[in-house]
Amino acid sequence: MDERSELKRQVDEDGASGERDTQKGKYMTFKSGNEYFGLEIQYVNEIIQLQAITAIPETEDYIKGLINLRGKVIPVVDVRLRFKQEPFEYNDRTCIIVINIKSMMVGLIVEKIAEVVEIKEDNILPPPTVGRTDRIQNKYVYGIGKVGDTVKLLLDPDKLLNDEDLSVVEQANEMNIDEE
Amino acid sequence: MAEEFSTDGMLDMYLFENGQLLEQLQDMVLSQKDADCFDEDSINEIFRTMHTIKGSSGIMMFDEITAVAHKLEDVFYYLRESHPDNVPHLELVDHVLEVEDFISNEMEKIRNGEPVDGESGELVARLDEFLDKIKGGKGGKSGKKKGEVPQNKHEEPKQFYIAPVATSASRFYRIYVSFFPETEMANVHAYKVVYALKEMAEDLLYSPEDIISDPECAETILKDGFRILLQAQCTEEDIRRVVGVGYDIDKVDVFECKAEEFLQGFDFGEHDDVPAPAIDLEASVEEIDARTQKAEGAASKEEKKPEKPAIAPGDFVIKSKEPGKQKKLAKDKPKGEKASFISVNVSKMDQLMELIGELVISESVVLQNSDLKVPGLNLDNFNKAAAQLSKISTDLQNVIMSMRMVPLTNTFQKMNRIVFDVSRKLGKDIEFVMVGEQTEVDKNIIEHISDPLMHIVRNSVDHGIESKEERRDAGKSEKGKVTLSAKTEAGKVWISVEDDGAGLDRDKILAKARRQGLLEDSKPDSAYSDKEVFQFITLPGFSTNEVVTEYSGRGVGMDVVVQNIQAIGGALEIESKKGFGSIMSLKIPLTLAIIDGIVMEIGNSSFVMETGAIKEFVRVKEDMMIHEPNGDEYIMIRGECFPVLRLGEWYGLEQYKESVEDGVMLILEVEDKKVCLLVDKLVGEQEIVVKPIPSYIKKVKGLSGCTQLGDGSIALILDAPGLIE
Repeated sequence: MDERSELKRQVDEDGASGERDTQKGKYMTFKSGNEYFGLEIQYVNEIIQLQAITAIPETEDYIKGLINLRGKVIPVVDVRLRFKQEPFEYNDRTCIIVINIKSMMVGLIVEKIAEVVEIKEDNILPPPTVGRTDRIQNKYVYGIGKVGDTVKLLLDPDKLLNDEDLSVVEQANEMNIDEE
Repeated sequence: MAEEFSTDGMLDMYLFENGQLLEQLQDMVLSQKDADCFDEDSINEIFRTMHTIKGSSGIMMFDEITAVAHKLEDVFYYLRESHPDNVPHLELVDHVLEVEDFISNEMEKIRNGEPVDGESGELVARLDEFLDKIKGGKGGKSGKKKGEVPQNKHEEPKQFYIAPVATSASRFYRIYVSFFPETEMANVHAYKVVYALKEMAEDLLYSPEDIISDPECAETILKDGFRILLQAQCTEEDIRRVVGVGYDIDKVDVFECKAEEFLQGFDFGEHDDVPAPAIDLEASVEEIDARTQKAEGAASKEEKKPEKPAIAPGDFVIKSKEPGKQKKLAKDKPKGEKASFISVNVSKMDQLMELIGELVISESVVLQNSDLKVPGLNLDNFNKAAAQLSKISTDLQNVIMSMRMVPLTNTFQKMNRIVFDVSRKLGKDIEFVMVGEQTEVDKNIIEHISDPLMHIVRNSVDHGIESKEERRDAGKSEKGKVTLSAKTEAGKVWISVEDDGAGLDRDKILAKARRQGLLEDSKPDSAYSDKEVFQFITLPGFSTNEVVTEYSGRGVGMDVVVQNIQAIGGALEIESKKGFGSIMSLKIPLTLAIIDGIVMEIGNSSFVMETGAIKEFVRVKEDMMIHEPNGDEYIMIRGECFPVLRLGEWYGLEQYKESVEDGVMLILEVEDKKVCLLVDKLVGEQEIVVKPIPSYIKKVKGLSGCTQLGDGSIALILDAPGLIE
């Protein structure tokens, strides 16, 4: 959580403080698998349609490659693969959410964009600590937001991208060695 | 820094102009360091430079700089006026460079917002001593001049006010201008007259003096008239043509007078412009300079200009050589040249370049749009317009690229200075030759090579060139030679530093390498090639120099050099022959941003490879392949055997062609290592804009970046050295 608050501060320093008031408590939600996830809207740059992706060899499987966003080259990550869920077929509804974290732009490939919702802080619960902590996605989920009857899993974008998922890296390395 | 610049334009201008002046000064001094003395033009130039710096520093209140510049100006004033023939030239060069260093240092402090705390005292004292020396050591034949010199100095302030030079063609006029009494702001009208006259004037004085800054004097002008003393090579008619009776001027009286009368100035009390010849001459010159230039710098920029040329002692000389010329020419010319340059923030240039890159891509998206491919469309006009558009965008690209290209001249000049300093300190006599300094390189790259190059040059002078005695013993001429050369070849810039010194001692290096455990114990010395051996000196902590000197020998350096060069995609090559000298060559890319590349396809992925790395393309037959049992493949082409790398397989791509007969082999060569790369299809050659792969994706072996292709898709750039590894 400390890291997150630091992140927020950084965003504030970037000059978004004026906008932040209106953005506060708003979450971009999307569907991946059967769950709905939420991302704080201040990290979201834009949402674009799926475009041609240039694959990069020898990278983790969830890094799908690079896209060209108006002259900027940005990497895209398949969220489902990142969560170790079954891969899915890309279709018309598939979108790329371009997020900006610490001045790094990354695209998230998601099945379906849902909506922007407002979640009050009292409606955000910490993720349960008992039970299925072994599930990998818990690492990226810092809270559970209640919206009416439904819940949204709130994602920590920094962890989502940068969390050192050792097993994956190791696997990738092993694969590389095999190929060589 | 940028903020400081925007808030303080004057300081910015000061630093910029003086920086340029100092650079020119250094170039000039170094270009003549081997001569017996400075030629006349240079002496004048140095004098003028110092004078300008003194003046502008005075305005900006940098007293220490002013003092030093003033002292050097004195020295050159003396040289110019007296032509002493026994000046120790090298000593003089040293002094000039010292002063240049001092001022540069101070300016650096100013730029960084640090306090300007340099002490000029010692330097000034040394210059004084030097001046005394050249004055004192004069032979009898220049004795006459010796007597004149102090006088010259004392006359200076007078010349400021009075005709700087009177040639036979010059005529003197006293002009009285009366304005209509109802004229508003008569002072401004008077200024108009002055402004018009200054074009033809050799010298010009007017009264009242402060016509612009003091509105009060409008009344005086109306009451007493406006008086002008003019020295010019013109007739009364010329004057009348310029200062005509008009809506404001009631009457113009022009009287020709004698030089002596002219020298007396205005003979009316309260506006006596001519000060009594001051006793403390330097102070008064200083004061006047500062005052005039202050006025120039302030908002009322122009009004003092007519006077200004007259006060600059630097102009005096030029005028006495060319009496017919208008005096302002000499001073204004360099300013005009400078105005044609502006300095632009590099980030803006980068932004512009990015935008142009995008423009080019969207252009191709438009021109190759699938909507245009409907059969039966008449596209004649469209194609014409499209061709025009392509031409413009290509031009645009070329211009932005050329804007980023900077000649290596400045970097080379710096090296010149280093050779000079180091060789003087070490007592070595070294001839420094520069070849191809006009070679242009991307600005980003220049910034990166300056330090490494400096190090190599220093090494050459310090270690490379032997002492005079050693050289004599070895049968070489006592004068060492260091050649710094640059050339463009195969899309790379080669900068080499060549010396004719002792060369690298292979045995010594090997012995040291063995001591440090860098060699494989089982391998004999002879098994290492010269190239390998010399590469050892680029390792950290490796120096065979027994004596640590001020300049080099601590064993730190070459490794840093190599690191820096590698950071920009370059390489260092060392060639050497014991006893005959060595050549250190830096091979660096011309630009980081744009490379010539071959676009190719493997499966449905596009890749780009730098054209320079590709030696040839070949189509091969299956029977040329050699398969080893362990899976390695080789190919025999014209009797040469190359290892084969199937890119599709290696990177695990999809739908690549299995058979070598369907694909194309690229023979890559990097530093004598060759490899064959199998790809599916070649698409074409094009200039590509290199973009880094986002840092989020970890480094992939063999990929150095990515680029956008014409259709907007992204291609990965293959890095030949990485692939060969």
